[in-house]
Amino acid sequence: MLSHLSEAIPLVLNWNMALVMLACSAFGLFVGAIPGLSATMATAMLVPITFFMDPVPAIAAIVTTAAMAIFASDIPAALVRIPGTAASAAYIGDLNAMTRDGRVGRALGISVTASAIGGVFGSLVLMVAAPKLALVSLNFTSFEYFWLALLGLSAAVMLGTGSILKSLMSLLFGLLIASVGMDTTSGYPRFTFGIDSLLGGVAFVPALIGMFAIPELIRTFVNRDAVPPVTPVGNPLNMFRGVGSLLWRNKTGLLRGSTIGTVIGILPGAGSDIGSWISYAVSKRFSKTPEDYGKGTEKGLTEACAANNSALSGAYVPAMVFGIPGDSITAIVIGVLYVKGLNPGPMVFLTSGDKIMAIFLVFLIANLLIVPLGLLAVALASQVLRVPKLTLAPLILGFCIVGSYSIDSSASGIVIMLVLGFFAYLMEENGFPVAPAILGIVMGLLVERNFVTSLIKSDGLALGFVERPIAAGLAVLVLLVWVTPVLMWLFRRRSAA
Amino acid sequence: MSGACQFDFIYGGTDMKLHDSAIGAVLVLFGAWIVYSALGFPRLTGQPIGPGTFPVVLGALCTLGGAALVVVGLIGRNGALVTLHPGWRRPDRFATAGLMIVGTALLAVTFETVGFPLGGSLLLAVLFLASGRRHPVWVLVAIGFVCTVHLLLTRFLQVPLPAGVLKGFF
Repeated sequence: MLSHLSEAIPLVLNWNMALVMLACSAFGLFVGAIPGLSATMATAMLVPITFFMDPVPAIAAIVTTAAMAIFASDIPAALVRIPGTAASAAYIGDLNAMTRDGRVGRALGISVTASAIGGVFGSLVLMVAAPKLALVSLNFTSFEYFWLALLGLSAAVMLGTGSILKSLMSLLFGLLIASVGMDTTSGYPRFTFGIDSLLGGVAFVPALIGMFAIPELIRTFVNRDAVPPVTPVGNPLNMFRGVGSLLWRNKTGLLRGSTIGTVIGILPGAGSDIGSWISYAVSKRFSKTPEDYGKGTEKGLTEACAANNSALSGAYVPAMVFGIPGDSITAIVIGVLYVKGLNPGPMVFLTSGDKIMAIFLVFLIANLLIVPLGLLAVALASQVLRVPKLTLAPLILGFCIVGSYSIDSSASGIVIMLVLGFFAYLMEENGFPVAPAILGIVMGLLVERNFVTSLIKSDGLALGFVERPIAAGLAVLVLLVWVTPVLMWLFRRRSAA
Repeated sequence: MSGACQFDFIYGGTDMKLHDSAIGAVLVLFGAWIVYSALGFPRLTGQPIGPGTFPVVLGALCTLGGAALVVVGLIGRNGALVTLHPGWRRPDRFATAGLMIVGTALLAVTFETVGFPLGGSLLLAVLFLASGRRHPVWVLVAIGFVCTVHLLLTRFLQVPLPAGVLKGFF
């Protein structure tokens, strides 16, 4: 990979990339700082534009936007007590308490620095682990890929935040959407109702834009929540005063948060929100003063913030090596990679090693940029947070319409966006999380292709699916993901009795 | 703060809550229809499987999951068949959400003929007005935004957005 480094550096260090990364940083910070507009939504809105870029700037745009938006979601959490994303909800109690105590600048200083360190840690792990894992995965057959994909889907269902049953239904919905169109094996049209534009399947990008943006727009028009009062930050330059010594004292926790975030990010189907929650819980478990958690503890905040951004980088390991998304954002990236001809999988490390290394370098730069640009974002946050969502909503709809159309230059994309967006709204209002459905749409073809191929290879015998050692190991992991929550529930019930 | 509250901002809460049993019943029917349709797909030559195999598995799981949801809903007895957020009962808010959905659908149908500059400007201006932005400057914001996006995308990114009836101007 070192040979690729020299080829990758010119791909990253040029004016075009600098402009793309700065513009996307500003976009990510803006969207992330507005409560209710998620990092995934920011990324989804960006996809149509990335289609007109070269591969490396396209991925750089998404990586930078996501990293900035995830960090920026801490700003409304601290200043108006509304977390920008689920990831920052884990430690909102501490952010609120620190804001009440007049330590809002310090809270955001910790958030900026820990996010950057966690992100750099995750990026380094990605650079080291992904190529090695790619070499191992060259031996994978359809059996291993089937189990791996199932592991990702299972993790998305079992580790999510909502009801397991509803998450499963959401996943099935996504998989069924993916099965619309011509079957890749036989060419037989499925569930197309005679509509020609559905023969190629349900377009992924309009589906994504609709499912993330339309529900939020409907809620904005119906709920019309008032803009909450914004706590002043003071001089943003004072944000970092004493943060360095705090992080040094808490270096073990910082390393633990970064590691937990990266590992959870690597697990297919689990993203930064889960990483942040688990890291916060582990920090509390190991703390000598767990009673302080939720009341303004800086240690919990440090670890969870580090986990946030490290998980974001970790999620790219299964995405790049196996083409299996670690979370909703990497699901989007996989779609972009396919369009750019950089089909994710072990072979891409051999055929396009320079571009992959360039993408890894982008991760490092994007996470380092969090510090200076985060400072700027905090300084401007008071103004951004005063913009009512109701004012932005029609403009966001305009972007969504253009984005959905421009993928295939077809108005059917707008219809797909609208229909699936309304379905997503109904789903969310009734406790069905949308993320499993998105994973289902992205991974549907991969799961089905490997399922059917494996069935043919094994002459329809289930035993064939577990005859190879790695496939058997992955099958056991899938089983564990399904059985562990049930066992834990039984254990808790028994303890309570 | 409870877990449910913490995620209300993402999972919405109770803006348009339907009874779990009703949703479960719909899923049972939907799953059954999928299975029925997929069983009619032809098999691969010389193979017991075909393009319907995977959808049959998904449809069957959907039916089973739907049935489980019916049971969960009945056991939980969680209130009315439909629970609406108070915002849906406000005519102005209902109208704005409706305008967004119907307006976007209309724009999709007429996108090629009417074009994005005119259709998009109209839709955005109507939405601004419906959401209480009555000052004429919001109409200008809508027109300015749509025209800027149109020009940026068509000139710089070569996206063939249709100019429709305003073709001569763009």
